[in-house]
Amino acid sequence: MLLAVGDAKKRGGRFWGLRVADVVAVCLVLVAAVGTMVFLTGSRSSTRGGLAVIEVNGRVVNRIVLGEDAKKTTYKVKGRNGVSVIEVQGGKVHMLESACRDQICVGMGWVDRAGQAVVCLPNRVVIRITGSRNGSKVDTVTE
Amino acid sequence: MRDTRRVTYLALLVSVGLVLSIIESTFPPLLPLPGAKLGLANIATVIALYMFGPWMALEVTVLRSLLAGILRGSVIGLFLSFSGALVSTLVMIALYVVFKKKMSMIGVSTIGAATHNVVQLLAAFLLIQHVALFYYMPYLLLISIPTGLFVGFASRRVVTSLEGLSLEAV
Repeated sequence: MLLAVGDAKKRGGRFWGLRVADVVAVCLVLVAAVGTMVFLTGSRSSTRGGLAVIEVNGRVVNRIVLGEDAKKTTYKVKGRNGVSVIEVQGGKVHMLESACRDQICVGMGWVDRAGQAVVCLPNRVVIRITGSRNGSKVDTVTE
Repeated sequence: MRDTRRVTYLALLVSVGLVLSIIESTFPPLLPLPGAKLGLANIATVIALYMFGPWMALEVTVLRSLLAGILRGSVIGLFLSFSGALVSTLVMIALYVVFKKKMSMIGVSTIGAATHNVVQLLAAFLLIQHVALFYYMPYLLLISIPTGLFVGFASRRVVTSLEGLSLEAV
């Protein structure tokens, strides 16, 4: 057994015994992660969205017009586990509070670009920014 | 005699996987993300793949995830973990066969962890039918890098230590 341990150490070598293909594999996963992130946050569209659509369980419960000069306003929505508080200010929107365990939605921060979204899966609350002011079906296809 | 040995090793690897998944379930969640697990049980699969070949890896995975699902007693959990484990094992086997010389088990297990998370998310999508689920994809992919690396290094440690022993099987 001691011999085997010695072997393992020798085998480790430079860069913890990683091979080129291993590094390529890790980079591939990293690229996939960044790729999906870029795709989902919709950084391709640089237009500021005009409307925040709030959905609970897939159903639209509220549409908030995002104006540049809008004052700080909070909206309360009842989700699956409790109340989510959504805050709108100066054309941006974020999740202020949420009745979920992981608080990822709160951590997602402010969104203001068309195609971006704040998602709270546990509470089934989604805030989506759309480019148009009427929130027609066409703007939701990007998903 | 050969068969008996093989069955014994299979049983051993399945129980290693089961125990690892039980140990893992006692840990506090790594990240507040559904599905972001360390995937310790995958160590058993990687060991099986590198010491006994693709068939053993497949058998270990199928038996381990079925048993773990039954022990946990949740049908949905069984469906999610079984689909993820099965597809990721198939991908790992493919990588192992194709890049046998070029890629070590570190890379194989990292890709395996990523596939596991992606497939699990797709399976969850089939159940929940909520597009919002896909917003978790980047986070799940990102977390699969450290977990996959950890599993890879742990498996290599075990395999290199066991290499000196004569394990005749298959």
